[in-house]
Amino acid sequence: MFFHIVLERKIQLHPRYFGPHLRDKLVAKLMKEVEGTCSGRHGFVVAITGVEDIGKGLIREGTGFVTFPVKYQCVVFRPFKGEILEAVVTMVNKMGFFAEAGPVQIFVSNHLIPDDMEYQAGDMPNYTTSDGSVKIQKDCEVRLKIMGTRVDATEIFCIGTIKDDFLGVISDPSAAS
Amino acid sequence: MNLAAESPSSSCSSGSTDDFAAFLENEIEAQIEEEEIEEEHIEEEDDDEIEIEIAEHSNKRRKVMDDESTDEESPLNTVDLANGQISNGGNVVCAHPIIIRNLCSHCGEFVEEAGSSVAFNYIHKDLRLGASEIEKLRKEDLKHLLKDKKLILVLDLDHTLINSSRMIDIIPDEQYLIKQVEEGKETDDPNQTLFQLGRYHMLTKLRPFVRTFLKEAKNMFEMYIYTMGERAYAMEIAKLLDPGDVYFSSKVICQSDCTTRNQKGLDVVLGADNLVIILDDTEHVWHKHKENLILMERYHYFASSVRQFSSGIKSLSEMKKDERESDGILATILSVLKRAHEMFFDPKIGIDLSSRDVRQILKLIRQDILEGCNIVFSRVFPSDVQANEQPIWKLAEQLGATCLGDVDDSVTHVVAVVPNTQKAEWARDNNKFLVTPRWIEAANYLWQRQKEEDFAVPKKVDK
Repeated sequence: MFFHIVLERKIQLHPRYFGPHLRDKLVAKLMKEVEGTCSGRHGFVVAITGVEDIGKGLIREGTGFVTFPVKYQCVVFRPFKGEILEAVVTMVNKMGFFAEAGPVQIFVSNHLIPDDMEYQAGDMPNYTTSDGSVKIQKDCEVRLKIMGTRVDATEIFCIGTIKDDFLGVISDPSAAS
Repeated sequence: MNLAAESPSSSCSSGSTDDFAAFLENEIEAQIEEEEIEEEHIEEEDDDEIEIEIAEHSNKRRKVMDDESTDEESPLNTVDLANGQISNGGNVVCAHPIIIRNLCSHCGEFVEEAGSSVAFNYIHKDLRLGASEIEKLRKEDLKHLLKDKKLILVLDLDHTLINSSRMIDIIPDEQYLIKQVEEGKETDDPNQTLFQLGRYHMLTKLRPFVRTFLKEAKNMFEMYIYTMGERAYAMEIAKLLDPGDVYFSSKVICQSDCTTRNQKGLDVVLGADNLVIILDDTEHVWHKHKENLILMERYHYFASSVRQFSSGIKSLSEMKKDERESDGILATILSVLKRAHEMFFDPKIGIDLSSRDVRQILKLIRQDILEGCNIVFSRVFPSDVQANEQPIWKLAEQLGATCLGDVDDSVTHVVAVVPNTQKAEWARDNNKFLVTPRWIEAANYLWQRQKEEDFAVPKKVDK
C-alpha cells in the first residue's frame, strides 16, 4: 500500500556547496540518498514530493561537514499481510513462482497455487490448468494476496498466495490483444 | 489484518477514515513491535522482562482482533498468523514445507533456522525445504525422469571434467600456455579448451571430449554439477562448459551446499537415489554413496596439479600432449554410461521401472570386467593383515574376479610388485600371468580388462 508521509533525516553537506544554491544542493543530496531506499518501518521510499522544513545546520567537530535536519514529504510503499496486490511474474520453478510488484519481491509456493494447476518444465516453465485455459509464466500479471512479509535492511520480501477467490492471472503476455 | 472484517464502513463516510487511519497506525505499531521483538529474540538481548511485557501486550491486541474475525476467515486463514498455532477448527499446524528467507511460504510465518529442513541455496538463495516436501519432490522427479527415460548424472569438476591451476603456479615450461590463451582471446574458436578465469587469475583446461560428452549425456541423463569449490568458481566453470545454460541451469551444487563437512551427499540432489550415477575422481567424499560412484582417473594437465598428488611425474602440459579424444577417459565412460542406461530401460526385464536400481546395474557391469580371473596377491600387502579386507582385494572382487589366498591350479593371475617372490616364480614356471596391481586399477578406470603384457612385472636387472 502507498502512503504519503513526512519523514525526517539528517543530511551532511560538504562546505564546498555552501553558497547561493545551498538549499538546492541539499535537496538534491537528500533525493540521491533517500529515493529508492527501504526502511523497515516505512517501506520503500518511492519519491520525494516536497521539502517541508530545513532546520539549522550544525557544524561537526573535526570534519567541517554540516548536518542539516530535513523534514520532507514522500510517497512510501509498504506491503502488508492480507493485502491484495498485482504483480508481474519473473521466474517460475517447481517450488512455485517469483513475482515482483515494484521494488518488492513476492514468492508464491506451489502449495498456495490452486490444485488444478500443474507445473510444466521446459524452455518456458509454467503452471497450467488441466484444460490449458490458464497459464502462469514469466511476464504474466497476477493478482495475489500477501501472506507474510520479511523486512531486511535494504529490501522487503513477501510470501503470497493465489489460492483464494478472485486471485490469479490477470493477463497473459502471449494473449493477443 | 482483515480490513474487510474490521472496518466494514471504510469505503463510505469520511468520518470513519480518521478511525481507519488511527487503526492503521495501531496496526503498524503492533506489527513493527512484533517484528522488532522477533529480531531482538534472535540477537539475544538481556532485557527479557521488558520484551515479554511488550510481547504479551501485542499478543493480547492480536488475540482480541483475531477472535472477532475467526468466523469470517476462509479456511486458509484459520492458522493464527501471529502465533503460528492452531486456531479453532482443529487445523493442522503448518509443517513449513518451503521456507524462503526464513518465511514459511505456506503460512507466512517467520521460521527459525533449525528443524528438519535442508538448505537448497543452489536453487534459490535462502531456500530451505522441509523433509516431507523433499520426499514429494523426489517422487515427482522420479515419475518425470522415468517417463522421459532419463537417469541422473552427478558430475564433479576438478580433475574430472576440467583441470585448473593458479597463474602463479604456472612453471616456466608452461609459459607457452599463457601465450596460447592470449591468442585464443583474439579469435573466437568454438573448440577452445584452454581458458583464463579473469577474476581468479587462474587457467582452466577442459578435458578432451567434454563438450561431446555433455551433449550426448544430455539425452540420457539429467545432469548436476557437484564440486567442493566455491559457488562463484563453480558458476564460472558452468558458464564455460554450458554457455547456453542448457545442461546445468540452477543445478550447480558447491561446497557451501554440503550438509556434512568435507562430504558430498545426495541429500541436496532432488532426485531418487536409485537413479543417480556419480562421476568423481575422489572416493572418500562419497562415503555414503559409494555404490553410485564411478571413479574417474584424474585429469592432470597442469604441473601444479600433478605435484599435489605425486612428484616426479610430468604433467600433460609439460609433455606438450593431451588425452586422445577418441579413446580418452571421457569417451570410455560415456560408453559405460550408455550401456548402463540401456540396461536400466531394457523393456525385456520383468521388474517394474520404479523399483529398478542403477546401482545394481553398475555392479553387474563391473562384475563382467574381470570375470573368470582367479587372482593371487604376492607381497602387495603385508601377510599379517586380514587379506580379504584389503582395498585391492575388494576392488578385484567387485570387478568380478575371484581372489585366492594361495596358488593352485585354478589361478590365472598373480599380482606382484617385485619379480622374485615365490608366487611370482611359480607364475612364471606355470605360464600364468604376472601383473602389477596397476592392472587391476586400470581395469577399474577403463572398464575393460587390459592386456596383461602392458602391466607385466619388470624383471629385475641383474648387477
